[in-house]
Amino acid sequence: MVPVHQIVAFYMKHNAEPEAVDLLTEVEDIDTLLEHVDSSNYRRMCLYLTTVARYLPDIDAYFLNVAYKTYLEFEEYPSALRIALFLDGLENWEDIFMFCDDLLRRKQLCYILARHGVHIELKKGDVADDVDRLVLQDIINNAKLSEGYLTLARDVDVMDPKSPEDVYKAYLLYGRANAGASFDSARENLAATFVNAFVNAGFGQDMLMTVPSEASSGGSSGNWLFKHKEHAKISAAASLGMIRLWDVDSGLAQIEKYLHSNDNHVIAGALLGVGIVNCSIKHFCEPALGLLGDYIDKEDSTIRIGAIMGLGLAYAGTQNEHVRRTLIPILEDEKAPLDVIAFTAISLGLVFVGSCNVGIADIIVDALSDPSRSALGEPLIRLLLLGLCLLYLGKKDDVDSTGAAKVGFNQKIKKYYDITLLSCAYAGTGDVLKVQHLMGQCEQHLSRDAIHQGAAVLGLAMVAMAEDLGLEMELRSMEHLLQYGEQNIRKAVPLALGLLCISNPKVKVIDTLSRLSHDTDIEVIMSAIIALGLIGAGTNNARIAVMLRGLSSYYCREANLLFCVRIAQGLVHLGKGLLTLAPYHSEHLLLSRTAMAGIITLLHACLDMEATILGKYHYVLYFLVLAMQPRMLMTVDENLKPLLVPVRVGQAVDVVGKAGQPKTITGFQTQLTPVILAAGDRAELATKKYIPLSPILEGFVILKENPDYRDDH
Amino acid sequence: MPTVSVKWQKEMFPAVEIDTSQPPYVFKCQLYDLTGVPPERQKIMVKGGLLKDDADWSTLGVKEGQKLMMMGTADEIVKAPEKGPVFVEDLPEEEQVVNLGHTAGLFNLGNTCYMNSTIQCLHSVPELKSALIKYPQSGRSNDLDQSSHLLTVATRDLFNELDRNVKPVAPMQFWMVLRKKYPQFGQLHNGSFMQQDAEECWTQLLYTLSQSLRSSSSSENLDTVKALFGIELVSRVHCEESSEESSEAESVYALKCHISHEVNHLHEGLKHGLKSELEKASPSLGRSAIYLKDSRINGLPRFLTIQFVRFFWKRESNQKAKILRKVDYPLELDVYDLCSDDLRKKLDAPRQILRDEEGRKLGLKTNEKSAGSVDTDIKMLDAEGSSNGVGESSKAISQEGVLHDKGMHLTGLYNLVAVLTHKGRSADSGHYVAWVKQESGKWIQYDDDNPIPQREEDITKLSGGGDWHMAYICMYKARVIPM
Repeated sequence: MVPVHQIVAFYMKHNAEPEAVDLLTEVEDIDTLLEHVDSSNYRRMCLYLTTVARYLPDIDAYFLNVAYKTYLEFEEYPSALRIALFLDGLENWEDIFMFCDDLLRRKQLCYILARHGVHIELKKGDVADDVDRLVLQDIINNAKLSEGYLTLARDVDVMDPKSPEDVYKAYLLYGRANAGASFDSARENLAATFVNAFVNAGFGQDMLMTVPSEASSGGSSGNWLFKHKEHAKISAAASLGMIRLWDVDSGLAQIEKYLHSNDNHVIAGALLGVGIVNCSIKHFCEPALGLLGDYIDKEDSTIRIGAIMGLGLAYAGTQNEHVRRTLIPILEDEKAPLDVIAFTAISLGLVFVGSCNVGIADIIVDALSDPSRSALGEPLIRLLLLGLCLLYLGKKDDVDSTGAAKVGFNQKIKKYYDITLLSCAYAGTGDVLKVQHLMGQCEQHLSRDAIHQGAAVLGLAMVAMAEDLGLEMELRSMEHLLQYGEQNIRKAVPLALGLLCISNPKVKVIDTLSRLSHDTDIEVIMSAIIALGLIGAGTNNARIAVMLRGLSSYYCREANLLFCVRIAQGLVHLGKGLLTLAPYHSEHLLLSRTAMAGIITLLHACLDMEATILGKYHYVLYFLVLAMQPRMLMTVDENLKPLLVPVRVGQAVDVVGKAGQPKTITGFQTQLTPVILAAGDRAELATKKYIPLSPILEGFVILKENPDYRDDH
Repeated sequence: MPTVSVKWQKEMFPAVEIDTSQPPYVFKCQLYDLTGVPPERQKIMVKGGLLKDDADWSTLGVKEGQKLMMMGTADEIVKAPEKGPVFVEDLPEEEQVVNLGHTAGLFNLGNTCYMNSTIQCLHSVPELKSALIKYPQSGRSNDLDQSSHLLTVATRDLFNELDRNVKPVAPMQFWMVLRKKYPQFGQLHNGSFMQQDAEECWTQLLYTLSQSLRSSSSSENLDTVKALFGIELVSRVHCEESSEESSEAESVYALKCHISHEVNHLHEGLKHGLKSELEKASPSLGRSAIYLKDSRINGLPRFLTIQFVRFFWKRESNQKAKILRKVDYPLELDVYDLCSDDLRKKLDAPRQILRDEEGRKLGLKTNEKSAGSVDTDIKMLDAEGSSNGVGESSKAISQEGVLHDKGMHLTGLYNLVAVLTHKGRSADSGHYVAWVKQESGKWIQYDDDNPIPQREEDITKLSGGGDWHMAYICMYKARVIPM
């Protein structure tokens, strides 16, 4: 081993860190690296380690641990935290906090935790000072998210509310029959509600629901709300939550009055809206639990579903014990209707996502084993199963050790469950073996009955979306599935494409989906249209917008297809182009589990659109709210006030293993913050006056004045 | 007596004292003073739950300086409006049709697109519709056979159904009766019905209707179909060799547009089609000789049907082959120079008025802008204008018989209202589609059960010269003016 050490030492001294890592990988002695790092080479080494770990599924933890320790040693706490989050080692964050005693840096760490959707209760031991602790806790609780988002909106001047017509742009279409002015179409109104909710998400004002709320209370908004039929009112009332997204204080005040309505659908919608407003925000008074808890046991099942789904959205990823205690009795109630059970399972799955909570798993399995509920013809069983699987999201092998996998479902359910569980457990890992396994499930030509194949296709996307190389390969193999797959597979392929490229409109994928949107099979068409919305979500992509406008006239006679087109149009203009649905952040390294869970819940529901979003469960579309995040770079000063600095924004360049100090972006433009970042964009500061406290310029970044900076003028 | 701070919307009320000996309702009344929200509308969050009116403060464990959150507004509660909105989905189908602006499509019953497109084209003639409505259900006159009667009834019912439905209609009954009357449409090939020539279907159907509709309205003894579609032709038959000349008159339902190498435009084809050669025995020469037949139009219909003779019988392959040549056709057709001298004289006056009218319109734009008011002593009525909706068109049909003496005059000008196209290489294969102008002025492509809106400028692009849909039968509607 002596020569190896000599060679490694030489490599590390002479800018050849990748070779050193490769060599030590061969001899399986990666820890030795720690002896050779110094301040000149640790960055390149860690970058290479983290990248290469992606391709070494079994031993990646060793590599990342080395990187983690190195970062700690050189006080790169944000980077260390990224790796800790990637390793799913939440217990490590306390270590990082211990090491990092600078308040400003701690704030930056809290911003990263908040973006990842990690909810931590800071204790006295962690932060001694009460005031500081409150500030840090506020950051983790995302309390200022709405404020930052609105600052961005004001900066890019998109505060004016947009109406659905502004999105449809029907006047650009020829021959479009607009004779329907005299009557409202319930379907069109529901679509308009969703479009309105998506487009104005988080802006606090819109043209339908909130218009002259001060003029005569309940005037116009009440009218629009009551232009819906029965269950459509749920989504209409809940859209208020979307519009007021993240703004808990004034949002709840506005929604609360709908709880006094005498219409059960409106109440259910308002409850769901309460959940949506609180999504990814933690409020010190826990208003969601307080408000929704009372309605869980109501007689009417729509109200119950509204409250249950609201709880799921508000507390996703928190593993809140109160929520568990509130929801568990519903699953144990034998008389509860199936849809209530299904939404309870999903909500529990969301709240305890990736927790491997055996207790909950057992109870869901018990609920499932009731013979009257286990007929998979019922589309809601999918959600029940998915709720169970979400508990193991991203947990890889931990699944095998739990008993939940060994349940005596009937054959059809079992297959669906196995596939979904596998794909959830390995979601975002890029594990090639699992990809192959899932691919194997797709190659058989089975009847329409074999619904597990659809889940397998979605699973392929979930596993393979982790890194670029695997993603490209997956896009290619999807093409084969389209060619040779049966109907069950073909209808899932567009959805899988939508997941792979979510909020990242690649031209090739747009073309494929555009082709599929004229398929002969109506289910494929519907999936393709929704997928077009997903890949364009929040991008305002003109190409997709034109395409959808064309589809809206082409399918103007097909109510179902038109509805899908409208939803897709709303998604493309999500948050007027300021939001993203991408569950990955921090330069495509970290996967937010709650975001992923929200998306796949919708996608699994979309495997049977007729019964879900086209039927009376259209509000499953609101699960997307879990994935919504502003795609911005907001620089703040030491008092967390917005700070305008010039930054260069351009296409990210892969610099892993490159010699020297290569440029990290290309084709850049210099702009003043806050700026909007597209998929694959990277930003760097264009001034030496400040030092960013995070190496990754995304979301909120604290800037510190550079003490060495001298103004030339 | 702990003091707490209460957050209400964006406001903060610091230092609110709680009298723990009183029930929480008292506390709510305190907040009522501060916020104006009545106690029963207040929702107070005590960590993880709502504060109940009868709760016991001691069990809640409210601490000094704790932050509470109060929700609720003094706003009026949202109420459903008295009268709910009416949704399109709830309307009966007839009203949805009005809303939609066009009528339903027809299901393909197995190679019946030729029949569907024919029906869609004829269905666009409101006068025919109203004539059919008057057709009695049972009163079959003696000179009409049973199957013709049934076919007429089936046509009437089908037209009605098209008007009443939004969703596509399956023309089962019609299809059955048509096959019964004309067994050639029931031919089977490999166990399924064969594709047929749409022109044949068109002609046969019109023939049957002309038979049945004439006999029914015997009181007026007027042939409705003939009045609508019939074209009077006078022909001069001339023999080069013997310089014999005779003239004959006939009535046809369609003009033929012959397509030869010189023909690029409908007009040329029509001229071509009106000239023909025929061989017959010449009494003066005592043998058969070539006669030239030169026809001219002597009477114009309300609806001018033009058939493109695109198919000819190819002896070698034993099938009807298709001429793909591009033949342009206009949206507005003038047949003046195809008319006989007598008819031209009749047309001259109305045409002059029409020209004046148009000239004045143009002149108005340039010279009389300042005048402002439009001289409207002569109202020009488009043919479409007279037939807005079925109800009105029945009035139009009652005027039909007296059209010529009551002052509505034909001008020899025609507007395109329907095109029946064919796509494919032979008449008995391929696909037939109808493109019909609606009363709203919009064009709809009826591809069997699927009506698709189209642009007017795309309609003239169906002129052939490729493998795209190409016009096979065109139907023009006369422009009439009152005098």
